Amino acid sequence: MLDIAIKNLGARKARSILCILAVLAGVFLVGTTISMNKWMYGMMTAELAKYMGKIYVQQGGSSYPPIDSSLNQETAEAILSRDDLGLDPAESAPLAFIRTERGMMPFIPAEVMVIGIPVGKETVLLGTLEAAEGLNRFDAGEPGEVAILGDKVAGKLGTSVGQTVTVNGHSVRVIGVLETSSMGSVDVAVLMPLEVAQRIFAREGQISSVLLTPNDVQKTAEIAAILRRDYPSLQIATEDDLLAEAEKVMRMPIVYMSSMGVTGLIVAMIVIMSTMFMAVEERTREFGTLRALGARRRMIIGTVLFEALALALVGGVPALGLVFLMTRVMETTSPDIAQLSQIVVLAALSAILGGAFPAWRAARVEPLEALRYE
Amino acid sequence: MNTIIETKDVYKTYGMNGISVEALRGVDLAVSAGEFVAIVGPSGSGKSSLLHLIGAMDHPTSGEVFFQGLNLSKLSDGQRTDLRAHEVGFVFQTFNLLPTMTVFENVEIALRLAGKKRAERLVRVTELLQLVGLGERFSHRPRHLSGGERQRVAIARALANHPSLLLADEPTGNLDTKIGGEILEFLRKVCDEDGQTFIMVTHDFRAASYADRVLVLRDGRVRGETRLQGKVDTQKVMSQLLEMEFLSSPQSN
Repeated sequence: MLDIAIKNLGARKARSILCILAVLAGVFLVGTTISMNKWMYGMMTAELAKYMGKIYVQQGGSSYPPIDSSLNQETAEAILSRDDLGLDPAESAPLAFIRTERGMMPFIPAEVMVIGIPVGKETVLLGTLEAAEGLNRFDAGEPGEVAILGDKVAGKLGTSVGQTVTVNGHSVRVIGVLETSSMGSVDVAVLMPLEVAQRIFAREGQISSVLLTPNDVQKTAEIAAILRRDYPSLQIATEDDLLAEAEKVMRMPIVYMSSMGVTGLIVAMIVIMSTMFMAVEERTREFGTLRALGARRRMIIGTVLFEALALALVGGVPALGLVFLMTRVMETTSPDIAQLSQIVVLAALSAILGGAFPAWRAARVEPLEALRYE
Repeated sequence: MNTIIETKDVYKTYGMNGISVEALRGVDLAVSAGEFVAIVGPSGSGKSSLLHLIGAMDHPTSGEVFFQGLNLSKLSDGQRTDLRAHEVGFVFQTFNLLPTMTVFENVEIALRLAGKKRAERLVRVTELLQLVGLGERFSHRPRHLSGGERQRVAIARALANHPSLLLADEPTGNLDTKIGGEILEFLRKVCDEDGQTFIMVTHDFRAASYADRVLVLRDGRVRGETRLQGKVDTQKVMSQLLEMEFLSSPQSN
């Protein structure tokens, strides 16, 4: 009886097309929010991955990057100089994060951010990241007012090595441009020697956080516990703590995005329901005739549900294409096969839920309606 | 002769807005195989209600309806549906063709609902469309057909499964006299040639005159019946109906 369903959809072209467009919009919204959530989560985990096995100390504020944190540099130095903790001095350093432009949302790096890092400790932040142009290290002899630009900042400012950028009213010479990293905060960073950044932004003696790398990764939790005990006023975070905190902060935007997606699905479901409901009301006599001719109730239910499903799939599949297009344009993460299946299942589910009540109504039509309806 | 339909003291009461209306008040009826029975009566006499009960489309309030000895009240909804699919053919006053389907598909649907295979359906639909004179118009949609043609498609659909019983509710009600006559002649021919059992509800005595037997229903009761001798005898039907007070005068219809 699927042919009856398809013929009925064809017979009501304008209404079917409008319903399909509504489903398309709803599924597009779902797909976009799923892909946005995936993108945000991916950004967050990539950003936090560099803290694997590391301990992160800050004071006040729980944002990441720790822009709101302010920590006395003397305290930082005291921690760094402790021999009992088993820290790797080459991979541990105080850092100053100074925001110049706000990011889209928490845990998504700012558009531009100054990071002050002690000269000679660049690898603490950059790891093995190479320079695309110029240097990826400051000159230990005479650093001066210089900067190494993250890939995105360089692109945004259109600046290359040898030129200057203005940071808080100071002309700063660019000595290097980094390669694209997997860490969003480095890509948007203007890296400066710590003391220069502190001076330019009048934050002498203040840093944002201390990044500690234990010699033995297995002892991370143990060291974090000692620090918590000895410095109760500081926030000591390991990778797990950061991830938990990040997830907590990300929960609201993800819930918000998800609720938009769910709203899209509900709207699609309501449109399908109203379309099918109208169709069933108009075809009461037709269903009565089919019942009089010997159609079972389950066949009528199947016909109506198939119509609803066809509307959802015809609208839903092009919507997936649009989601792909959208993610390409916005340079976010495209949905994977599992998520595509999830979207298709959700669209089909909304069709079945939307079609269920009209189908039940249609199945309740008695054969007598074939004779009664004039 | 085998009895196809038998009703025993059948009552049917409808409740509407707190008011109950007795459509049938103790109807006893028996229709034999191969008989063409016309049930006539004025509007509200209960003739359509009786047809619904006979066609397994409704339940009596009390009394029993037997279809080939089977008590219809004891059947489940699914069994009644199957009975309609296999054993009963319906011809409606308003044709009730599915508008989105072609002539061929409209006839085929009855065979599909009865679970017939595709090849069998193809042969039977072709045969039926030839029989009703619409062999060339199989791909047309109902909206492109005249009233008479639509009713012929509906008759082909009703006959598709070789039903034990053919039921018609005012089959010529929406047709002019000439086309209506052609339809009735065709139905009469089917009864004569194939021994088809046929019960027709009508308020038109001319239509009734094609039947073997005419039952007059008034106020939910069978008020009388007349047997015709296998030929269209309008005068006899008229005079019988007058006797049974169905018509107040020959001019009234």
